[in-house]
Amino acid sequence: MKLQGVQQTKWWGVVVFIAAILIFPLVVTQSFFITQATFAGIYAIIAIGLGLLMGYAGQISLGQAAFYGVGAYTTSILTATWGWSPWLSLPIALLVPALLAFFMGYTMSRLSGYYLAMATLALGIIVHGLLVEGKGITMGASGFYGIPQLSLFGMTINQGVPYYFLVWFFVLIVLILSLNIVHSRVGRALRSIHDSEIASSSMGVNTGRYKMQVFILSAAFAGLAGWLFAHMSYSISPSAFTFDASILFLAMVVLGGSGSVWGALIGALLIRMIGITVHTLGEQFSFITSDSEHVIYGLILILVVIFMPKGLFPTVIDWFKNTSIKRVEKKSSVPVTPIERSVSE
Amino acid sequence: MLQVESITKRFGGVVANSDVSFSVDEGQIVGLIGPNGAGKSTMFNMISSIFPPTEGNILFCGKRIDLLPSYKVAPLGISRTFQNLQVFKNMTVIENVMVGQHMRTKQNLSGVASMLLGIAKNERKVYEEAMDILRFFNLELLYDQKASSLSLGKLRLLEFARAYATEPKLLLLDEIAAGLNHSETSEMSELIKRVRDSGVTILVVEHDMDLVMSICDKLVVLDQGMKIAEGAPKEIQANEAVIAAYLGAEIEEEVV
Ligand SMILES: Nc1ncnc2c1ncn2[C@@H]1O[C@H](COP(=O)(O)OP(=O)(O)O)[C@@H](O)[C@H]1O
Ligand SMILES: [Mg+2]
Repeated sequence: MKLQGVQQTKWWGVVVFIAAILIFPLVVTQSFFITQATFAGIYAIIAIGLGLLMGYAGQISLGQAAFYGVGAYTTSILTATWGWSPWLSLPIALLVPALLAFFMGYTMSRLSGYYLAMATLALGIIVHGLLVEGKGITMGASGFYGIPQLSLFGMTINQGVPYYFLVWFFVLIVLILSLNIVHSRVGRALRSIHDSEIASSSMGVNTGRYKMQVFILSAAFAGLAGWLFAHMSYSISPSAFTFDASILFLAMVVLGGSGSVWGALIGALLIRMIGITVHTLGEQFSFITSDSEHVIYGLILILVVIFMPKGLFPTVIDWFKNTSIKRVEKKSSVPVTPIERSVSE
Repeated sequence: MLQVESITKRFGGVVANSDVSFSVDEGQIVGLIGPNGAGKSTMFNMISSIFPPTEGNILFCGKRIDLLPSYKVAPLGISRTFQNLQVFKNMTVIENVMVGQHMRTKQNLSGVASMLLGIAKNERKVYEEAMDILRFFNLELLYDQKASSLSLGKLRLLEFARAYATEPKLLLLDEIAAGLNHSETSEMSELIKRVRDSGVTILVVEHDMDLVMSICDKLVVLDQGMKIAEGAPKEIQANEAVIAAYLGAEIEEEVV
């Protein structure tokens, strides 16, 4: 069902995506790259959530790593300390970050201006501090270990290709869910808030509630990523959930393009690839250290903000559509007024 | 239908409205006029609950609305346009109208379920209704254009269409013809009358006196926040306080 002039999910994009997931482990077989691709998937889940928050609710979170960490530690404690099944702890690992977001959003009632950015920044610092200091529960800075592996139908999902498929299966679900939300009346309402909150509420859109829902959803996605991350490794440590990580997620969204579900996904992949490249180069050239990574992320952020404020994905799509419209114009040789078409879903 | 009772609004030291009362009856087109800075937009903002009055009450169909958040006013049947255009510029023309339909298109559970499968059920119905509304406002050819690419005249029409899409009982039009040329203005006044005839009560702020005089059943005149006159267009035209206010404003503008 095609509704011309309305943003809709392009299902061929999803099909291409699924094909890429299936083909990748056939082409690339080194376990190092499979592991990296698995991490990229985990980050993509966080980035998609953050992209919804930034692009559709017009809010910035500087503490997404906190929700990620809360999800990871929730499941670690429930499974390793309390002996729960990881599948049983999955909903809890989503629920706890979501509740945290709910209470944060609730106290700020309307989520406007920079309050959320500041509050999430503080949350990130607090959560990291608690993970380090709460030794009795979290085992402190040295890390929490003994996290059980996942198993399905009696078979353990090992690191490597099986876990790669598990993670990207969840990415697929998150992606489809997000695309559908964005292309529903809720997504339209969110986009309208971004353009004019005052007009939006005059149309009867409860702007505060929608922003809150997106914030909660982004926290739940981060919790899901935390759950996947925890059960991938035997141990986790607070160092994975720092302010640096939050900034990395932000960089993924800014690079790929906020306001675009696909953009956030692509941003996560690109940032991960840059990280790997820097790492590999670092092994050959001693002057390239892990700090270079941060310098490069910083540079990318600056360049993107200056030259592609919409982010990579929407810019490329815009360019594509413009050239194809021009081609049509040439062919028909009838002067057509250039039409600025809406892109980026 | 609408009762404005002794409304005062202060912004710090500025008194934008001072003890203003008037009413709008069902089926009327009422004009709210006055020189720039008289407090007309401020009054609109209070009727649509964007901010509350400092003193006084506003009643709509007998219910107090001045303490409600603005998103709760639209479902009661009040909608508006904005003097400083607040279209959703990154959305297409038809999407703008579909946001206007937002609260009438609550998705039920089966709708959400079908959405999960990617076949939004009500979407087509909403889309077709939106297209009908665009036809009513002569915007149907622009339906898939981004709002930011529209001319001023079309933007004003789009604001009108979007407000109409909420199916209001009372529609507030804030300088809907500002910046329009002669033929666009007469098209607009025809549209306003057609909307009224479809059963919508209208409160309009407008500087174009020809338009106001030709379509309004009643005029309320504000000057420096105070109501200085109320009555039929004919009476207002002859009212000395009104003439003085407008002349005064003109002289002031010339001096400036
Ligand atoms: N949000 C606001 N904050 C402070 N002053 C305001 C605000 N809105 C309007 N005013 C002031 O109130 C007065 C009336 O403005 P307005 O209602 O916009 O007039 P009109 O629409 O009749 O031209 C003006 O002096 C204006 O500066
Ligand atoms: Mg005004």
